[in-house]
Amino acid sequence: MIYNWKKIVRFGLPLLTLCIFIEIFAGQMLHLGQKTLVVFPIFLISIPVINGVGGNIGSILGARLASGLHVGYISLNVKDEKMRENLITAILMGIITYAILAILIYYVASFGGIQMGISLIEFISVILGVGVLLVCVISLISVFTAFWSFKKGLDPDDIVAPVVTTIGDTLGIMLLFLFIGAVGI
Amino acid sequence: MYAKEMLKQSLPLLIFCGLGGIVAGSTLSVMADIIQNIPGLIVVIPAIIALRGNISTAFGSRLGSAYHLGIIDAENMWNNELKQNVIGSLVLSFLISTIIGILAYGTTILFFDVHPDPLKLISIVLLAGIISAIILTLMTIVIIFIVFKRGYDPDNITGPALATFGDIVTMFCIFGSAILVEVIM
Repeated sequence: MIYNWKKIVRFGLPLLTLCIFIEIFAGQMLHLGQKTLVVFPIFLISIPVINGVGGNIGSILGARLASGLHVGYISLNVKDEKMRENLITAILMGIITYAILAILIYYVASFGGIQMGISLIEFISVILGVGVLLVCVISLISVFTAFWSFKKGLDPDDIVAPVVTTIGDTLGIMLLFLFIGAVGI
Repeated sequence: MYAKEMLKQSLPLLIFCGLGGIVAGSTLSVMADIIQNIPGLIVVIPAIIALRGNISTAFGSRLGSAYHLGIIDAENMWNNELKQNVIGSLVLSFLISTIIGILAYGTTILFFDVHPDPLKLISIVLLAGIISAIILTLMTIVIIFIVFKRGYDPDNITGPALATFGDIVTMFCIFGSAILVEVIM
């Protein structure tokens, strides 16, 4: 027998507990901004989207870098061409995804009869502002984590996904409130 | 060419996952009233979603590896290896849910001087954590079974599928548990 439930629990518990500590801070930020979110429910709809896309971009990039490092067509060098190509494509892909989803969210919300209080242009600026900053930071963290874990002899496949999703959730919510404030609503 | 291939394969999937995020977010916006009525509820949401994502993706990727190692296949699914994995995931969900409840309660008092009902909050987290664990574990097994039958590589399918449906199922479970606990207590 290869798997043993006690081992699964023992290996999973430390990293998960650490992630949960950080996620609780993300939750407390939501708590802090709860009034804004209840007045503008469209941002409640956006939260899982902002966090989900950010985490996915970071994970995809991390998995691609991990495969490249394992196979050897990506080298541990900040000037590596293939790494930079992956990084730029990930950021570009993130921006396109956020732009499309921002428009979709706005129309889903207005179709669902939700109290809007914000124009399409304002809403897209907020989501794109958050999205562009978030994918840039998450992609850089993904590259850093993949390179760092590979250098340490760890498998980036095990490390990058939990790191980028956890940091992405916290940063995404923080940036959202920052941009809501900046638009001045 | 390399970048183009990444864009072509990942972009549709990213947008699809984003649509899942919109469904999860719409559930969250429907919950706006209950969020206001139960102090501390909003704090646990990112943590439960992250818990669910981390545990079920790890479960899915372990089953993928088990398939590649020849330990489980479509004819021989319900063996002891799978059972150990299921028990491990459920025990982890139970432990981490308890930690989330306690942390959310403690930090809410500490940061905001708001006193949530500890029993209510921990019951909601535990119920949502366990119910979503059972649903998503079963869903993963069904997805893996179908993938095996068709001869696809589970590594390419389970991650995005769980990312999309996981958030929706978890959000429904939080909503359902909150209503249930609010009615009973």
